[in-house]
Amino acid sequence: MFEGGKSRFERVVRAFSTELYRYAYWLCRDRFVAEDLVQETFARAWQAWEKLQDENAVKAWLYSILRNEHARLFERKRLDRDDEQDLGEIPDTVSSNPHASLEIREAIHSLPQSYREPLLLQVLGGFSCSEIAGLMGISEGAVMTRLSRARLAFRQLPGWDVMTRKKAS
Amino acid sequence: MNCMELRRSLLVNPRLRDGDLQTHLAECAACSAFARQMESLESRIEEAARVPVPEALDERVLLRQSMRRPARFAMLALAASITLAVGLGILVVHERGPGGGEIVSGVALGSEHPAVAAISYVLDNEPQLLEEGRRGDPAVMRGAFARLGLNLPANGVTVRYLGKCPVVPSGTGEHVVLDTPVGRVTLILVPEQPFTSPVVVADRDKTAVARAVRTGGYILIADSLKNARQIEKMLM
Ligand SMILES: [Zn+2]
Repeated sequence: MFEGGKSRFERVVRAFSTELYRYAYWLCRDRFVAEDLVQETFARAWQAWEKLQDENAVKAWLYSILRNEHARLFERKRLDRDDEQDLGEIPDTVSSNPHASLEIREAIHSLPQSYREPLLLQVLGGFSCSEIAGLMGISEGAVMTRLSRARLAFRQLPGWDVMTRKKAS
Repeated sequence: MNCMELRRSLLVNPRLRDGDLQTHLAECAACSAFARQMESLESRIEEAARVPVPEALDERVLLRQSMRRPARFAMLALAASITLAVGLGILVVHERGPGGGEIVSGVALGSEHPAVAAISYVLDNEPQLLEEGRRGDPAVMRGAFARLGLNLPANGVTVRYLGKCPVVPSGTGEHVVLDTPVGRVTLILVPEQPFTSPVVVADRDKTAVARAVRTGGYILIADSLKNARQIEKMLM
């Protein structure tokens, strides 16, 4: 029983720490805070590990813990951090086309948090609209509206056509 | 499904390809082009969203949990740090003044001591790290030396490897391998994790000294205690 719980936990950490880190990064836009959020998420997950009944729900559960931790951390300084972001700190080692990727990153950054979050839950977490609605405590219709508006914002980027054509060719 | 409905659903999920949608795309060139654009944009968003993740993040998470909850996590803690040390025949000596010391087991030292975890990490991973030859930021290394009030030895010493030590929480441990006149030594610099007591750990052909300095400490691994002492003199 103990062995099972421990190795299952280890498996979950290995399976989800990467995507949780990325989600955390886009929530707080600070690499060190993002890592702390991931650490705190798994610390809380472990404390409540026995309460987790449904293994299929573990991913959404982890995301919701991280989301709450982030909210707890930033509820005091509720100011929108959109204008104090530092894009320069992300090395562009993963991108085949650093310039275009940076433009998209900037665009993700400049989305309002209420649009950015459902987009990232869909793109990084692979959640459905109803799962995102559950995580964010909003209606499924609202999720769909926000996802559409987020993507429309990308389409309005200057040079969007060029960027996508480059990739497509 | 008409053009408007199709475009609405693709804005919600550009990867969607159900029956209705496929049928419309096969018949409508304009929507087909729109779908290709949306998919292409989606790939770019995915690529941009996948920011680089710090090295060995999952290891640090597991190690942190093993340190926080030794009772529940005893087995994992052993797996993560001590088993390897004991398995390799490592002896742990708590220093009691110059030359003297009492040999205790790795388990007695406790899983919370970063020294044991760091030593295991070095023994386990260093050969491969040296082979890959990755290089960290020299400025970060110099900063770690400075914060600990240590000298980076210059005479006859070259830096073989620089990197983060992933077993130290929050990515604050620097892993430095130096070639020195007394052979190759490894330094784990931990500026922000207080160490308790000085510790000497010896295995068949390696000796490690963990020592507190300022607000943190360092772990030095050399071929013998004598060599380790000599390097320590150069650091001070
Ligand atoms: Zn159409």
